[in-house]
Amino acid sequence: MNARTGRTVRRRTVVAAVIIMIVLLAFVVRLFDIQVVRADEHKEDAQTVGNFIGGATLPGVRGSIVDDKGQVLASTSVQYDAAIDPSLAGDVNRLDDSGDEYVETWGRIAERIGDIIGMEGAEVEEVADDALANNADAEYISLKKGLSTEQYRELLEIDAPMLILEPQKSRTYPNGAVGANLVGFTGADDEPLAGYELLENACLESTDGEITYQRSADAGVRIPGTTTETPAQDGGTLNLTIDTDLSWYLLQMLKEEVEVQNAQAGSIMVADVKTGEIKAAVDYPTLDPNDPGATDADDRGAKALTRSFEPGSTFKAITAATVLDQGAATPLTQINASGYEQFPNGAVVGDSFSHPEYAYTVAGALIDSSNVALSKIGELVPDETRHDYLEKFGVGQKSPIDFGSAEPSGVLHPASEWDNQTHYATTFGQAFTVTMQQVVSAYQTIANGGVREPVHIVDGCERPDGSTTEPDLPDAERVISEKAADETVDILENVAAQGMLADQISIPGYRIGIKTGTAQKTDGNGNYKAGVYFTSMIGIAPIDDPQYVVMVSLDEPRRITSSSANASAFKKAMTQVLKNYRVPPSEEPFEPLPKFKE
Amino acid sequence: MSLAETDLIPFEAPIRRTEPGRTLQALPNGDRRRRPRLAYALTAIAGAAVIAAAQLALSTLTAQSSYELAAVEAQQRQLTLDQQELTDQIAGLSSPQYLAANASALGMVIDSSPSYLRLSDASVLGAGTPASDRSTVNMGAGNAAANSLIADTPLVTDQDATVAESSAPSLPEAVPSAPPIDGGLPSPATH
Repeated sequence: MNARTGRTVRRRTVVAAVIIMIVLLAFVVRLFDIQVVRADEHKEDAQTVGNFIGGATLPGVRGSIVDDKGQVLASTSVQYDAAIDPSLAGDVNRLDDSGDEYVETWGRIAERIGDIIGMEGAEVEEVADDALANNADAEYISLKKGLSTEQYRELLEIDAPMLILEPQKSRTYPNGAVGANLVGFTGADDEPLAGYELLENACLESTDGEITYQRSADAGVRIPGTTTETPAQDGGTLNLTIDTDLSWYLLQMLKEEVEVQNAQAGSIMVADVKTGEIKAAVDYPTLDPNDPGATDADDRGAKALTRSFEPGSTFKAITAATVLDQGAATPLTQINASGYEQFPNGAVVGDSFSHPEYAYTVAGALIDSSNVALSKIGELVPDETRHDYLEKFGVGQKSPIDFGSAEPSGVLHPASEWDNQTHYATTFGQAFTVTMQQVVSAYQTIANGGVREPVHIVDGCERPDGSTTEPDLPDAERVISEKAADETVDILENVAAQGMLADQISIPGYRIGIKTGTAQKTDGNGNYKAGVYFTSMIGIAPIDDPQYVVMVSLDEPRRITSSSANASAFKKAMTQVLKNYRVPPSEEPFEPLPKFKE
Repeated sequence: MSLAETDLIPFEAPIRRTEPGRTLQALPNGDRRRRPRLAYALTAIAGAAVIAAAQLALSTLTAQSSYELAAVEAQQRQLTLDQQELTDQIAGLSSPQYLAANASALGMVIDSSPSYLRLSDASVLGAGTPASDRSTVNMGAGNAAANSLIADTPLVTDQDATVAESSAPSLPEAVPSAPPIDGGLPSPATH
């Protein structure tokens, strides 16, 4: 090779290299432009136009409410809302199976939609037309809410481009009205409105999660490795202590009794003596939480827990327990009482039936439910003592159930404010107010040997990670001595066996104790209503080892206006409780206490 | 001077130098080139091809799995909808009022206090009477526990009735009563 050809070759090489470098530089500049200078623009394009980023919410599941056996009282399900895009409401071109084009008219589509959701085709078209009349740019008008999954799938098959379907979380209550007064219900948007759905929302509520990923434009297939996920948090399970099957029976029986006795309403409450668990708290009338709008607003709450009333004669047993615990009397102590007496301080007390002066024993005073005799029994201890015992039994404080702000604490005036009539009236359950659970709790204390276990309905909240949160209940507390409690329980058995309702409430094979109560109701103007009462009957069984307290109350029964109206309902309720929990019949014989002192 | 005596080559003849040990010879096979080794080339090309093929296969498989994933997710969506539909259908069938309406349509009763047989001493505790034909609750008089989930569901035991309108069947003329137990509970006579 000679020098001249060498130079030519070198020149060609340099020229080629320069051309290559220019092309490479052009690529580098373009790359820089795309990746750095116009990066944000392209990213936005990818999201909006290119549809390369996909995302979805991961819905959290709201927690269930279950009863003592784990049967579900409330659970989450999905419903669908249908809406129409009026701007797309028109005829649709479709291809049939053989590939030919045909036109499906808007009217035909509207009719098919209407068939599934239960509206006329013309109504569906009207909804779209009205929306357009209001706003010519309307793109969304709600058509129907609360569609089931079956309807949703049928609507999908219509393949209507103007139809928008959105899932909504909803609650379903498999047992309907059973336990509904406690469980409550939710409104639109899964928002709790009443009952334990609302009170324990912190336990039940869930948080939604989110998932985002990159995907291919055509098939929307996720590109593996590009997923970022915030997991959803599910709600916890709320465990209640109530027994659903027992609650159903009590509700059905209560409805029949309320109708037979021509009462306005009724309530039944059952508590376990040893643990304080409320096994049933039933109201009639009550709501179906699957359809809360079908009942009056007044009946949608839990009146058994929120109603306060003057207890009447049921609290005579607490007076007796107080006096027995203080040692001021025994069940055989003699009390002389006539049917109507005026006391030295000017107060006047009368019994429910007129009678001459009887030489009652303390037991006899409760068997005949004599107000006069109880007034004299109550005088054996000072007012302050009786007031303190009423407080220790739970009167005047909200019960441990704590059913929200709707639960009253009841009213108990300090002993220094008791006037002359109140001094006696408090011995037979007037001049203070209580709720049903406070009466049940007092009888639970007496039945449990004098030890008060806190009455409660919520057993605990079980979170998805397995941890359980239990409610903050007060400790068990001794209120009266075991001897006083046993003596009071004996007296209650005598009331059941020797009282005037003995035949109506006796349950063959079992020893039970009861006390009736007929309370006057205020008419709102400071006077008592005449002739109608709030009647209650509370009982304990079996006496040899008390396990259950049952209270039945009727609001203004008219067929029988006294607490005898409750006898049939109480007997059926107590029988069912004993049957449900397989309580064996009592074998020890009953030894009656004397009613009158000989 | 004749030409014959002239020195034709005016220069001096170059001195032929012979260095010890060096002889110049023509190469025996001078124009044979070194042939490149085929094996190395084949290996390089094959390696490149294998790498390319492997990369193609892996990305195909990855993409394939995401298509499978999409198909499986679509299937899961359909199954979730199936499950929701079925759950809606059976919701409320386990409720106590539905069970009670079915039992009542068969003629079953919820009676008064039960009797217990104690096997240890063959004694009968409690009331000791058979169940009467009167139930302490009467589903036929109206269902107290409304439940819109099963309001229109026909009863299993009586396809014409629903929870709201169940009625007990009428009793036959002669209702056989249970035989009395005397002489202890019957026990099998085996050895």
